[in-house]
Amino acid sequence: MNTFTSLFTLLIFPAGLTLMLVGMFYEWIDRKLVARFQNRVGPRWFQPFADTLKLFAKEQIKPAIVNPYLFFGLPIAALAGALTAALYVPLMGLNPASNFPGDLIVTIYLLSLPTMCVGLAGWNTSGRFSLIGATRTLTQLFAYEAPFLLAMLGPALVAGSWQINTINGYAQNHWLIFTQPVGFIVALIGLMGKLELPPFDAPEAETEIVAGALTEYSGRGLAMFKISRSVELIIGLSLVSSFYLGGLNGIPSFLFKSLALLLVMSVLQVLLTRLRIDQTVGLWWRFGAILVLAQLLVMILWKGLAL
Amino acid sequence: MNNNSQLWTKVINQVRDWARQNSIWAVHFNSGSCNGCDIEILATLTPRYDVERFGIKLQGSPRHADVLIVTGPVTRQARERLIRTYEQMPEPKFVISVGSCSISGGVFEGCYNCVGSVDDVIPVDVYIPGCPPRPEAIIDGIVQLLTELKGGKARKQQRPVTAEEIPA
Ligand code: SF4
Repeated sequence: MNTFTSLFTLLIFPAGLTLMLVGMFYEWIDRKLVARFQNRVGPRWFQPFADTLKLFAKEQIKPAIVNPYLFFGLPIAALAGALTAALYVPLMGLNPASNFPGDLIVTIYLLSLPTMCVGLAGWNTSGRFSLIGATRTLTQLFAYEAPFLLAMLGPALVAGSWQINTINGYAQNHWLIFTQPVGFIVALIGLMGKLELPPFDAPEAETEIVAGALTEYSGRGLAMFKISRSVELIIGLSLVSSFYLGGLNGIPSFLFKSLALLLVMSVLQVLLTRLRIDQTVGLWWRFGAILVLAQLLVMILWKGLAL
Repeated sequence: MNNNSQLWTKVINQVRDWARQNSIWAVHFNSGSCNGCDIEILATLTPRYDVERFGIKLQGSPRHADVLIVTGPVTRQARERLIRTYEQMPEPKFVISVGSCSISGGVFEGCYNCVGSVDDVIPVDVYIPGCPPRPEAIIDGIVQLLTELKGGKARKQQRPVTAEEIPA
């Protein structure tokens, strides 16, 4: 019975199938908002579903020189990583399916698994566009990962726990966006970097390097990478809104807070143009990391003096 | 039992066809056009006409695309690249040839450096005449491809429509 329940949580609800559907729905909201900001009508509500189904029904071409195990395994690993990370996060405002002390670190590392898989996939297919895309993906990973982790560290520090559930409980009484505004901004922009949304879409810049690391992927592999991207979107939104926007304690609060965040993110996407990869790295290390570190220092001092 | 599996196949086929009709990713190839047609294709993608509302998206990589949009006559230089781009696309794939030049060679007919029309080189599903065709005509051509898909008789060589049949 126990195995059955865990399988159910893993594959159907709240992780697994439900999560993928919600992820695609959020992807549609994002595309629709961007379209409306650009004075367009935008896609219909089932667009991401149709895209995914179509990709699953298409032929998957294996380039001649790739390593087949890596080529077919990487999309599965990316999706599995993203879905596993979902277990520790208060998805849709419900209690996390499982938790243990320190699951924050595990979640953050599982969340970067899809990006690493994309990087490896680009290296494996060894087309020149995929190679450049993979290099940029991994460079960007090193750029935003540390500031994002530091921004997640702030709430963990004041809540005195490494457990997402405890921090979520703490945040319900404290709106950390007011006490740690820098952390919030860095976390939000870090999320945009993680999802490779504009202005951080240099790794898949269509006008320069075709489609980046995923240039050679078609059909099922591409669909799985796309799904893991939208799952990542949901997990990232849940993490940031539960840490900084007064916690998540139910489906309405999840919908309200995450949609508000998504709105801000799509405005930023429309407003800003693509940064060069060196500008991205410079932005993160010269401003993001230093500002968050300064904020952390202030918090540690404050905490030490208060005690 | 047999009945059941037949029903399943039918349902799955319908879902697949629905998905194909509603999500068309295109890749654009200029095989020697004068750029007039390319500018009209770009105009089709701008907010004024916004084809994303039909699920049509321009993709960079032929590996991601369902539809190859070819403009212009095929020059000797472009011939090999056109074939290679076509071969790189995963099945099921469709080809739309846009502009008079890609249908017959147009004003470049008989040029020393041209091979001829697009369907001399790769199979074409829909022809869109005009020099250059208006964005409305291009959207109409894509709708024709969709109706063909619906009837399940795509990939059939068909008579090019005349300019009078197309809403301006
Ligand atoms: S059909 Fe007209 S606009 Fe198009 S490539 Fe030929 S000459 Fe140029």
